[in-house]
Amino acid sequence: MQNNEEHVVDGEAESASSAPQPEFSDWAYYADEDTMKQPNEIPASESEKIPFVGDKEPLSALAAEYQSGSPILLEKIKLLGEKFAAIRRTRGDGNCFFRSFMFSYLEHILETQDKAEVDRITANVEECRRTLQGLGYIDFTFEDFFALFLEQLESVLQGHETSISHDDLLQRSRDPSVSDYVVMFFRFVTTGEIRKRSEFFEPFIMGLASSTVEQFCKSSVEPMGEESDHVHITALSDALGVPIRVVYLDRSSCDNGGVNVNHHDFVPSSGDSSGSSSSSSSKTTEPFIVLLYRPGHYDILYPK
Amino acid sequence: MAAVNGQTEDRYQGNTPAVAPSPKQPLPAAKSVDTQSVLKRLQSELMALMMSGDPGISAFPEEDNIFCWKGTITGSKDTVFEGTEYKLSLAFPNDYPFKPPKVKFETACFHPNVDVYGNICLDILQDKWSSAYDVRTILLSIQSLLGEPNTSSPLNPQAAQLWSNQEEYRKMVEKLYKPPSAA
Repeated sequence: MQNNEEHVVDGEAESASSAPQPEFSDWAYYADEDTMKQPNEIPASESEKIPFVGDKEPLSALAAEYQSGSPILLEKIKLLGEKFAAIRRTRGDGNCFFRSFMFSYLEHILETQDKAEVDRITANVEECRRTLQGLGYIDFTFEDFFALFLEQLESVLQGHETSISHDDLLQRSRDPSVSDYVVMFFRFVTTGEIRKRSEFFEPFIMGLASSTVEQFCKSSVEPMGEESDHVHITALSDALGVPIRVVYLDRSSCDNGGVNVNHHDFVPSSGDSSGSSSSSSSKTTEPFIVLLYRPGHYDILYPK
Repeated sequence: MAAVNGQTEDRYQGNTPAVAPSPKQPLPAAKSVDTQSVLKRLQSELMALMMSGDPGISAFPEEDNIFCWKGTITGSKDTVFEGTEYKLSLAFPNDYPFKPPKVKFETACFHPNVDVYGNICLDILQDKWSSAYDVRTILLSIQSLLGEPNTSSPLNPQAAQLWSNQEEYRKMVEKLYKPPSAA
């Protein structure tokens, strides 16, 4: 196993010519620079073999991916195993962050039946609607997406005629006529938040390819399949008032050779989101949405 | 309404009672309901476009088929296209607004980003499409593309080359321009 790893890392040129084409799941074969580009490079057919939202798998499934992989990654996965029980993969089609967020959030509501949280987010969604209207977005361009999200929110609460089970939720998350609509809803929410607070987001966007905040939103937020980064995550988290934890699995390690798994919590800035300070006491707890980030891709993690 | 049938993508409607034969089966398709949502959107767009009164752009569905529109744009003032008028066709897919409509020039247009068949190279009609666009913003974008072409990756290299010489370009536009016949 060790030898294998050395072969891949030290003999990249050789492995590129002689090793069989790596499968999508063989992350370990890629250097970080390669994985950054990867989601764009997966042929559509390859990506479509993976459902939008996969089944819950034990964390050992992650370790299995890296069996002959970098010792740093294996060490990190071991550490992950101490805190997390399971992983749920999402399709690497550029919508994986939004898709992971969708499933994770709705699943949380389904399991906790937290009516107060539903009321809170509903108020934020209405605020997002007004934001878009204020920015000049025409109602009919976004209203179907808003309506469909609110419908899902209502159906995960039990006791209604339209209530759905966990299985139903999974099915819907795999059905483009629900899943893509909800992804598009999040894209509208994200773009509205970024443009509303363009002065705040501008410095983060300027370093990227776009020349203006509006251009960034038009080319990197609103179109389906455009990948998300910290700008998108910050904006979505702020707009909806939902904290998100992102756990990073990459080859980085500390200078002293120690390995630990970094995470970053995106905590909504309460100032801008509808000022519901009464319910903010729950926000100080750990984010209930935990995503695993590997360069270029997000999956869902389940704490123990 | 032939185009209404044969829908492939169906938006799930939560208020439709779901009678799934088994949990593993795809959700029951509510075809008519889905068509309704695309229809509703296109009708809203038509209304908005007619109310907006933007100068130099217009569009209307073809007889009997709201999925196929004919549009018109006029060249903006102070551009080499000033005073010219172009007919376009817009064909909306069944999964609109997830996918952009196919938009083509019906009137020949001598432009760096339009080929001889009327195909248009414009990012928002391809990979940068999003549901936030509508017929109005498409037409306005094409109108502004007329005056501000992208000459670095042209469909019509001859037009791209000539663009730097606006006086000659205007002559070429006038020479090649065939006003759309009143159909």
